[in-house]
Amino acid sequence: MIRIAAVGDLHYGEGSQGILKPGLEHLPDRADLLLLAGDLTRRGNPEEIQVLANELRGLPVPIVAVLGNHDYHCGREAEVRRALEGVGVRVLEGEAVTVDIDGVRVGIAGTKGFGGGFRGAHGSDFGEPEMKAFVGHTKMLSDRLERALTGLDGVDLRIALLHYSPIEGTLEGERLEIYPFLGSYLMAEAVDSAGADLVVHGHAHHGTEKGRTPAGIPVRNVAQPLIRHAYSVYTLNGHREVQPAAAGGIS
Amino acid sequence: MSERPDYLPEHIREKLFHDPRVAEQDLKVDVKEHRVLLGGNVSSLQLRHTITEVAQELLPGYEIVNETTVVPATEPEDEEPVS
Repeated sequence: MIRIAAVGDLHYGEGSQGILKPGLEHLPDRADLLLLAGDLTRRGNPEEIQVLANELRGLPVPIVAVLGNHDYHCGREAEVRRALEGVGVRVLEGEAVTVDIDGVRVGIAGTKGFGGGFRGAHGSDFGEPEMKAFVGHTKMLSDRLERALTGLDGVDLRIALLHYSPIEGTLEGERLEIYPFLGSYLMAEAVDSAGADLVVHGHAHHGTEKGRTPAGIPVRNVAQPLIRHAYSVYTLNGHREVQPAAAGGIS
Repeated sequence: MSERPDYLPEHIREKLFHDPRVAEQDLKVDVKEHRVLLGGNVSSLQLRHTITEVAQELLPGYEIVNETTVVPATEPEDEEPVS
Protein backbone atom coordinates (compact mmCIF):
# COMPACT_ATOMS: atom_id res chain seq x y z
CA MET A 1 0.00 0.00 0.00
CA ILE A 2 1.31 3.44 -0.96
CA ARG A 3 0.35 6.49 1.09
CA ILE A 4 0.14 9.73 -0.86
CA ALA A 5 0.08 13.04 1.04
CA ALA A 6 -1.12 16.00 -1.01
CA VAL A 7 -1.87 19.68 -0.57
CA GLY A 8 -2.11 22.73 -2.81
CA ASP A 9 -2.81 26.43 -2.53
CA LEU A 10 -0.52 27.13 0.39
CA HIS A 11 -0.12 30.73 -0.85
CA TYR A 12 3.04 31.39 1.10
CA GLY A 13 4.11 34.99 1.59
CA GLU A 14 7.22 36.45 3.14
CA GLY A 15 5.54 36.38 6.56
CA SER A 16 4.24 32.81 6.36
CA GLN A 17 6.99 31.18 8.40
CA GLY A 18 5.70 28.34 10.53
CA ILE A 19 2.21 28.04 9.04
CA LEU A 20 2.80 24.56 7.59
CA LYS A 21 5.81 23.23 9.45
CA PRO A 22 4.04 22.08 12.66
CA GLY A 23 1.52 20.14 10.56
CA LEU A 24 4.34 18.36 8.72
CA GLU A 25 5.99 17.00 11.87
CA HIS A 26 4.59 13.46 11.59
CA LEU A 27 4.23 13.35 7.80
CA PRO A 28 7.16 10.91 7.37
CA ASP A 29 5.29 8.41 9.60
CA ARG A 30 2.03 8.86 7.69
CA ALA A 31 2.97 9.14 4.01
CA ASP A 32 5.48 7.81 1.49
CA LEU A 33 5.29 10.76 -0.88
CA LEU A 34 4.20 14.42 -0.74
CA LEU A 35 2.52 16.08 -3.72
CA LEU A 36 2.21 19.88 -3.94
CA ALA A 37 -0.59 20.99 -6.28
CA GLY A 38 0.49 24.54 -7.12
CA ASP A 39 -0.17 28.07 -5.85
CA LEU A 40 2.62 27.62 -3.38
CA THR A 41 3.16 31.40 -3.22
CA ARG A 42 0.96 34.50 -3.24
CA ARG A 43 2.65 36.32 -6.13
CA GLY A 44 5.41 34.04 -7.39
CA ASN A 45 8.27 35.90 -5.71
CA PRO A 46 11.46 33.94 -5.06
CA GLU A 47 11.43 35.41 -1.53
CA GLU A 48 8.01 33.86 -0.91
CA ILE A 49 8.91 30.40 -2.17
CA GLN A 50 12.10 30.44 -0.12
CA VAL A 51 10.00 30.63 3.06
CA LEU A 52 8.16 27.45 2.04
CA ALA A 53 11.35 25.80 0.77
CA ASN A 54 12.89 26.28 4.21
CA GLU A 55 9.95 24.44 5.77
CA LEU A 56 10.23 21.56 3.29
CA ARG A 57 14.00 21.24 3.57
CA GLY A 58 15.05 17.92 5.04
CA LEU A 59 11.63 16.23 4.92
CA PRO A 60 12.58 12.55 4.49
CA VAL A 61 9.95 11.76 1.83
CA PRO A 62 10.09 12.45 -1.91
CA ILE A 63 8.29 15.70 -2.78
CA VAL A 64 6.84 16.35 -6.25
CA ALA A 65 5.20 19.66 -7.19
CA VAL A 66 3.55 21.61 -9.97
CA LEU A 67 3.27 25.39 -9.96
CA GLY A 68 -0.03 27.27 -9.99
CA ASN A 69 -1.24 30.54 -11.49
CA HIS A 70 -0.10 32.58 -8.46
CA ASP A 71 3.42 31.19 -8.88
CA TYR A 72 3.55 32.77 -12.36
CA HIS A 73 2.33 36.24 -11.38
CA CYS A 74 5.72 38.01 -11.17
CA GLY A 75 7.10 36.25 -14.25
CA ARG A 76 9.78 34.65 -12.07
CA GLU A 77 8.50 31.07 -12.20
CA ALA A 78 11.94 29.76 -13.20
CA GLU A 79 13.35 31.14 -9.94
CA VAL A 80 10.42 29.68 -7.99
CA ARG A 81 11.15 26.33 -9.57
CA ARG A 82 14.87 26.55 -8.80
CA ALA A 83 14.20 27.41 -5.14
CA LEU A 84 12.07 24.28 -4.78
CA GLU A 85 14.60 22.14 -6.62
CA GLY A 86 17.25 23.52 -4.28
CA VAL A 87 15.62 21.69 -1.37
CA GLY A 88 15.06 18.49 -3.36
CA VAL A 89 11.52 19.07 -4.65
CA ARG A 90 10.95 17.69 -8.16
CA VAL A 91 8.90 20.27 -10.10
CA LEU A 92 6.92 19.04 -13.11
CA GLU A 93 5.50 20.92 -16.10
CA GLY A 94 4.47 18.56 -18.86
CA GLU A 95 6.95 16.09 -17.45
CA ALA A 96 6.89 12.89 -15.42
CA VAL A 97 8.98 11.33 -12.70
CA THR A 98 9.06 7.84 -11.24
CA VAL A 99 9.54 7.28 -7.53
CA ASP A 100 10.41 3.86 -6.11
CA ILE A 101 8.67 3.25 -2.79
CA ASP A 102 9.61 -0.09 -1.24
CA GLY A 103 9.74 -1.69 -4.67
CA VAL A 104 6.52 -0.10 -5.95
CA ARG A 105 7.19 2.20 -8.89
CA VAL A 106 4.95 5.28 -8.65
CA GLY A 107 4.85 7.45 -11.76
CA ILE A 108 3.72 11.05 -11.47
CA ALA A 109 2.96 13.24 -14.48
CA GLY A 110 2.37 16.90 -13.73
CA THR A 111 1.27 20.15 -15.27
CA LYS A 112 -0.20 23.39 -14.03
CA GLY A 113 -3.00 22.91 -16.52
CA PHE A 114 -5.32 25.76 -17.36
CA GLY A 115 -8.97 26.75 -17.84
CA GLY A 116 -11.54 26.72 -20.59
CA GLY A 117 -14.55 25.04 -19.04
CA PHE A 118 -16.22 21.68 -19.28
CA ARG A 119 -18.10 19.45 -21.69
CA GLY A 120 -20.88 21.31 -23.43
CA ALA A 121 -19.56 24.69 -22.34
CA HIS A 122 -15.85 24.79 -23.20
CA GLY A 123 -14.24 27.76 -24.91
CA SER A 124 -12.89 27.37 -28.43
CA ASP A 125 -9.64 28.66 -29.88
CA PHE A 126 -11.62 30.85 -32.26
CA GLY A 127 -11.92 34.56 -32.84
CA GLU A 128 -9.63 37.03 -31.11
CA PRO A 129 -5.96 36.18 -30.61
CA GLU A 130 -6.52 36.37 -26.86
CA MET A 131 -9.17 33.64 -27.02
CA LYS A 132 -7.00 31.49 -29.26
CA ALA A 133 -4.11 31.91 -26.82
CA PHE A 134 -6.30 31.05 -23.82
CA VAL A 135 -7.75 27.81 -25.15
CA GLY A 136 -4.59 26.99 -27.08
CA HIS A 137 -2.60 27.05 -23.82
CA THR A 138 -4.99 24.53 -22.26
CA LYS A 139 -4.79 22.26 -25.30
CA MET A 140 -1.01 22.35 -25.31
CA LEU A 141 -0.71 21.52 -21.61
CA SER A 142 -3.34 18.77 -21.84
CA ASP A 143 -1.50 17.19 -24.77
CA ARG A 144 1.74 17.30 -22.80
CA LEU A 145 0.00 15.73 -19.80
CA GLU A 146 -1.27 12.85 -21.91
CA ARG A 147 2.18 12.26 -23.40
CA ALA A 148 3.83 12.40 -19.98
CA LEU A 149 1.34 9.90 -18.53
CA THR A 150 1.60 7.60 -21.54
CA GLY A 151 5.38 7.70 -21.29
CA LEU A 152 5.30 6.23 -17.79
CA ASP A 153 5.99 2.69 -18.92
CA GLY A 154 6.40 -0.11 -16.43
CA VAL A 155 5.13 1.73 -13.37
CA ASP A 156 2.80 0.15 -10.81
CA LEU A 157 0.82 3.33 -10.13
CA ARG A 158 0.21 6.43 -12.21
CA ILE A 159 -0.76 9.77 -10.70
CA ALA A 160 -1.64 12.99 -12.52
CA LEU A 161 -0.68 16.10 -10.53
CA LEU A 162 -2.40 19.32 -11.64
CA HIS A 163 -3.21 22.76 -10.34
CA TYR A 164 -6.38 23.46 -12.35
CA SER A 165 -9.27 21.01 -12.13
CA PRO A 166 -9.98 18.41 -14.82
CA ILE A 167 -13.64 17.91 -13.80
CA GLU A 168 -16.67 19.86 -12.63
CA GLY A 169 -17.29 17.40 -9.80
CA THR A 170 -14.60 18.84 -7.55
CA LEU A 171 -15.74 22.41 -8.27
CA GLU A 172 -19.16 22.05 -6.67
CA GLY A 173 -19.45 24.93 -4.22
CA GLU A 174 -17.71 27.40 -6.52
CA ARG A 175 -19.70 29.99 -8.48
CA LEU A 176 -20.73 28.62 -11.86
CA GLU A 177 -19.62 31.84 -13.58
CA ILE A 178 -15.96 31.12 -12.81
CA TYR A 179 -15.88 27.43 -13.84
CA PRO A 180 -14.06 28.28 -17.12
CA PHE A 181 -11.28 29.83 -15.04
CA LEU A 182 -11.04 26.86 -12.70
CA GLY A 183 -10.31 24.05 -15.13
CA SER A 184 -10.91 22.21 -18.34
CA TYR A 185 -12.31 18.84 -19.39
CA LEU A 186 -9.35 18.53 -21.79
CA MET A 187 -7.18 17.46 -18.87
CA ALA A 188 -9.72 14.79 -17.85
CA GLU A 189 -9.77 13.54 -21.43
CA ALA A 190 -5.97 13.34 -21.38
CA VAL A 191 -6.00 11.37 -18.14
CA ASP A 192 -8.80 9.04 -19.31
CA SER A 193 -6.95 8.38 -22.58
CA ALA A 194 -3.62 7.61 -20.93
CA GLY A 195 -4.97 5.90 -17.79
CA ALA A 196 -4.18 6.74 -14.18
CA ASP A 197 -4.95 5.64 -10.63
CA LEU A 198 -5.43 9.07 -9.10
CA VAL A 199 -5.65 12.72 -10.14
CA VAL A 200 -4.78 15.44 -7.63
CA HIS A 201 -5.43 19.14 -8.15
CA GLY A 202 -5.93 22.41 -6.27
CA HIS A 203 -7.07 25.91 -7.30
CA ALA A 204 -10.75 25.55 -6.28
CA HIS A 205 -10.78 26.75 -2.68
CA HIS A 206 -14.55 26.53 -2.36
CA GLY A 207 -15.00 23.30 -4.29
CA THR A 208 -15.46 19.68 -3.24
CA GLU A 209 -12.71 17.23 -2.32
CA LYS A 210 -13.87 14.12 -4.17
CA GLY A 211 -14.84 13.42 -7.75
CA ARG A 212 -14.18 11.12 -10.71
CA THR A 213 -13.31 11.55 -14.36
CA PRO A 214 -15.86 10.30 -16.93
CA ALA A 215 -13.83 7.03 -17.11
CA GLY A 216 -14.03 6.64 -13.32
CA ILE A 217 -10.54 7.69 -12.25
CA PRO A 218 -10.60 9.21 -8.73
CA VAL A 219 -9.95 12.96 -8.58
CA ARG A 220 -9.09 14.77 -5.34
CA ASN A 221 -9.12 18.54 -4.84
CA VAL A 222 -6.49 19.24 -2.18
CA ALA A 223 -6.71 23.05 -2.03
CA GLN A 224 -5.62 23.79 1.53
CA PRO A 225 -8.50 26.20 2.30
CA LEU A 226 -10.82 23.34 1.35
CA ILE A 227 -9.20 20.38 3.15
CA ARG A 228 -8.37 22.61 6.16
CA HIS A 229 -5.40 20.47 7.15
CA ALA A 230 -1.68 20.57 6.37
CA TYR A 231 -2.32 17.80 3.81
CA SER A 232 -4.64 14.91 2.98
CA VAL A 233 -3.51 11.29 2.77
CA TYR A 234 -4.78 8.85 0.14
CA THR A 235 -3.79 5.19 0.08
CA LEU A 236 -3.44 3.19 -3.12
CA ASN A 237 -2.61 -0.46 -3.55
CA GLY A 238 0.42 -1.03 -5.69
CA HIS A 239 -1.18 -2.56 -8.75
CA ARG A 240 -2.80 -0.51 -11.48
CA GLU A 241 -6.53 -1.04 -11.64
CA VAL A 242 -7.67 1.64 -14.06
CA GLN A 243 -6.58 0.99 -17.62
CA PRO A 244 -6.66 3.48 -20.46
CA ALA A 245 -10.18 4.03 -21.71
CA ALA A 246 -11.07 2.13 -24.86
CA ALA A 247 -10.80 4.31 -27.94
CA GLY A 248 -14.18 5.79 -28.68
CA GLY A 249 -15.66 6.52 -32.05
CA ILE A 250 -18.58 8.24 -33.62
CA SER A 251 -21.05 5.73 -34.95
CA MET B 1 -11.88 54.94 -7.86
CA SER B 2 -15.56 55.21 -8.73
CA GLU B 3 -17.70 56.91 -6.14
CA ARG B 4 -20.67 54.75 -7.11
CA PRO B 5 -21.46 52.34 -4.28
CA ASP B 6 -22.50 49.66 -6.80
CA TYR B 7 -18.88 49.22 -7.89
CA LEU B 8 -16.98 50.06 -4.72
CA PRO B 9 -16.88 46.52 -3.20
CA GLU B 10 -15.42 45.07 -6.41
CA HIS B 11 -12.83 47.85 -6.61
CA ILE B 12 -11.78 47.17 -3.03
CA ARG B 13 -11.64 43.41 -3.63
CA GLU B 14 -9.47 43.94 -6.71
CA LYS B 15 -7.13 46.36 -4.91
CA LEU B 16 -6.70 43.95 -2.01
CA PHE B 17 -5.88 41.14 -4.45
CA HIS B 18 -3.27 43.26 -6.22
CA ASP B 19 -1.69 44.62 -3.04
CA PRO B 20 1.52 42.60 -2.51
CA ARG B 21 0.91 42.59 1.23
CA VAL B 22 -2.40 40.77 0.72
CA ALA B 23 -2.60 39.05 -2.72
CA GLU B 24 -5.65 37.14 -1.56
CA GLN B 25 -8.26 36.42 -4.23
CA ASP B 26 -10.84 34.77 -2.02
CA LEU B 27 -11.91 37.79 -0.02
CA LYS B 28 -15.52 38.86 0.05
CA VAL B 29 -16.15 42.57 0.34
CA ASP B 30 -19.40 44.25 1.16
CA VAL B 31 -19.84 47.99 1.70
CA LYS B 32 -22.84 49.48 3.45
CA GLU B 33 -22.82 53.22 3.99
CA HIS B 34 -19.46 53.80 5.73
CA ARG B 35 -18.92 50.23 6.89
CA VAL B 36 -16.76 47.67 5.03
CA LEU B 37 -17.46 44.00 5.79
CA LEU B 38 -14.65 41.58 4.86
CA GLY B 39 -15.15 37.81 4.66
CA GLY B 40 -13.47 34.69 3.30
CA ASN B 41 -10.53 32.50 4.27
CA VAL B 42 -7.00 33.60 5.13
CA SER B 43 -3.93 31.54 5.97
CA SER B 44 -2.75 33.34 9.12
CA LEU B 45 -3.74 35.76 11.85
CA GLN B 46 -0.99 38.08 10.65
CA LEU B 47 -2.50 38.22 7.15
CA ARG B 48 -5.91 38.88 8.70
CA HIS B 49 -4.49 41.92 10.53
CA THR B 50 -2.72 43.11 7.36
CA ILE B 51 -5.96 42.92 5.39
CA THR B 52 -7.66 45.17 7.94
CA GLU B 53 -4.80 47.68 7.72
CA VAL B 54 -4.75 47.74 3.92
CA ALA B 55 -8.55 48.07 3.71
CA GLN B 56 -8.35 50.99 6.14
CA GLU B 57 -5.70 52.65 3.94
CA LEU B 58 -7.98 52.25 0.92
CA LEU B 59 -11.03 53.68 2.69
CA PRO B 60 -9.77 55.91 5.52
CA GLY B 61 -13.18 57.19 6.59
CA TYR B 62 -14.84 53.77 6.79
CA GLU B 63 -15.28 51.31 9.63
CA ILE B 64 -13.55 48.01 8.71
CA VAL B 65 -15.25 44.86 10.02
CA ASN B 66 -12.97 41.90 9.33
CA GLU B 67 -14.86 38.60 9.59
CA THR B 68 -12.32 36.53 7.65
CA THR B 69 -11.50 33.07 9.00
CA VAL B 70 -7.99 31.73 9.60
CA VAL B 71 -7.80 28.28 7.98
CA PRO B 72 -6.18 25.64 10.22
CA ALA B 73 -3.19 23.72 8.86
CA THR B 74 -3.06 20.90 11.39
CA GLU B 75 -2.31 17.24 10.68
CA PRO B 76 -5.16 15.28 9.11
CA GLU B 77 -7.06 12.95 11.42
CA ASP B 78 -7.22 10.01 9.03
CA GLU B 79 -6.42 8.76 5.55
CA GLU B 80 -8.69 7.79 2.68
CA PRO B 81 -8.33 4.45 0.90
CA VAL B 82 -8.71 5.29 -2.80
CA SER B 83 -7.91 1.85 -4.21
